[in-house]
Amino acid sequence: MEPMAYLSSLDPMNFLTAVPGNVAQGIIWGIMALGVFITFRLLNFADLTVDGTFATGGAVAVVLILADLPVPLALAAAVAAGFAAGLVTGLLNTVLGIPDILAGILTQISLWSVNLVVLSGANKAVNVDKYPLIVTLRNVESSIVTALVFAAVLICVLYWYFGTEQGSAIRATGSNPQMAKAQGINIDFMKVLAISLSNGLVGLSGGLLAQYQGFADIKMGQGSIVIGLAAVIIGEVLGDALLGKHMNFAYRLIFVVFGGVVYYLVIGLVMWLKMPTDLLKLLTAVIVAIFLAVPYLRAKSKNSFALAGRRGARKNA
Amino acid sequence: MRKRIPAFLLAAVMALSLTACGGAPNSSKADSSPAASDGSAPAASKQSEAKSYTVGICQLVQHPALDAATKGFQQALTDKLGSKVTFDVQNASGDTATCAVISNQFVSSNVDLIMANATPALQAAQTATSKIPILGTSVTDYGTALGIDNWTGASGKNVSGTSDLAPLDQQAKMLNELFPKAKKVGILYCSAEPNSKYQAKVITEELSKMGYTCKEYTFSDSNDVQSVTKTAASESDVLYLPTDNTVASNTGIIKNVCLPAKIPVIAGEEGICSGCGIATLSISYYDLGYTTGEMAYDILVNGADPSTMKVKYAPKFTKEYNPDICKEMGITPPSGYQAIQKAS
Repeated sequence: MEPMAYLSSLDPMNFLTAVPGNVAQGIIWGIMALGVFITFRLLNFADLTVDGTFATGGAVAVVLILADLPVPLALAAAVAAGFAAGLVTGLLNTVLGIPDILAGILTQISLWSVNLVVLSGANKAVNVDKYPLIVTLRNVESSIVTALVFAAVLICVLYWYFGTEQGSAIRATGSNPQMAKAQGINIDFMKVLAISLSNGLVGLSGGLLAQYQGFADIKMGQGSIVIGLAAVIIGEVLGDALLGKHMNFAYRLIFVVFGGVVYYLVIGLVMWLKMPTDLLKLLTAVIVAIFLAVPYLRAKSKNSFALAGRRGARKNA
Repeated sequence: MRKRIPAFLLAAVMALSLTACGGAPNSSKADSSPAASDGSAPAASKQSEAKSYTVGICQLVQHPALDAATKGFQQALTDKLGSKVTFDVQNASGDTATCAVISNQFVSSNVDLIMANATPALQAAQTATSKIPILGTSVTDYGTALGIDNWTGASGKNVSGTSDLAPLDQQAKMLNELFPKAKKVGILYCSAEPNSKYQAKVITEELSKMGYTCKEYTFSDSNDVQSVTKTAASESDVLYLPTDNTVASNTGIIKNVCLPAKIPVIAGEEGICSGCGIATLSISYYDLGYTTGEMAYDILVNGADPSTMKVKYAPKFTKEYNPDICKEMGITPPSGYQAIQKAS
């Protein structure tokens, strides 16, 4: 296509009208990212269970909604299923001594079979015309409100919880396990608890996304860890850039959710620009890499010996 | 430093108001679109000389069969409408959540019709809109895909399309015709694909009626294909492969296991057969896409109503054999079968 024809084929309104949908989906993934934030940042544990748990949450929620259970109950069950999956990973790691990444992978693989059994197949539709779904692509505006309420409540609860004695013990376990142990903290218990909590949130998010897109699919969790990590990192970088030293724990949680939104706005932008979608995964990887690299390079340019040397030379001159 | 917080809040408020602005035209568009799509049906045939159409295509994943269906669809509409139709082709690269992003974009830019290629794409599209007409293709069973009980052939809502269901009864007959003496049939597919499970169920019923013992062998992804195929080959006389995306991407492995073991493979479609099968009764995904394109023309220009439009099946089937593998296994090509033309 000619460059001019390409540019004139892009209607900015089309991007703007798609924004609410991307925001709704971004907030739902942001809730998933809150779970990833707990393991990845607070506990310092690389948990790959979530790729399985996300689909488990979706599967459990959809199957129960199809059985005419109220949606809140179905979502509670999705949280419980995620919590149980996290429990397995936590126990594999602490009781059986399996390294963190491997423990997560083992649970994730076994969840594939569990999810197939739960869904009794690979894919199950939950039709918005027949069931009282609380978030749905059909009504994006109300989905944003609902998802925002979920996110806000979760952020408040997490902020409160990680300020309690038990929450602080989890953070201590993450930042310095030896020290935490010396203080009398049962670090194995804290680890299992945090991984379970994290996967409970991921299960909730999976349950919400399945409703939003109208189906649960065995593959819906594939690569969700990447989106979760991306949201955490994008949120942190933006938060640090905008708030600097004022970036406290509450803001950190808010920005994790915001990171999910930014991620899906970028996906929406890539689609709107009519970039070849074969390159979609590469483009998203590049964007996440940029978010990872910029703060590092900026810090390096501020602290480098070369810079110090140059300053010194200027001073001496 | 202090100034940063108000600046951030301002930015957040601006972003939110942007969302709100974006939301308003979206909802008003959605409200006005039923009038537009209902009212334009008779009007469109009058103005069809002047009117141009935008069609959004959401394809689940890059894959030869799905690519062929998309091409066939575009060709049919281009043949009939020429330059009056523009396509917005988006591929979710296998990520089901991206299907939702794509559907949302099509609905918010108010395309005239959505073509959804593969089951999750169809599900996301029908969740996104109850107004814009949607046509599916490469979907096997619409009742299951849309969550409609008592499927009657038409959806009763804005959805119709084409099914890629292979003629399983005739495939069973073909297997019987080629291997009357075999006893055990292994059915090999990926546990992640609902369509394959459905086909396995149906063909098992058909083959059991003929006196075969069937056993299903499922793998979860490419990594298990080799070991599962080995087990299947050692326990079966013949293997049957349904139209399965993961099988289609791993025919090389299956061939490497089955050829030395001298286990013949009957495939559900041409692509798989050309990789590792000896014979197939195949549908053409290109033709299927072309049929879908003709349905789209009916909806866009002639004002046909997708809610009463019956889901269509592949227009024709061809009995084909794979000359290379037949030769290596010492199987004489049966009469009445065409040799598969290698694409490259």
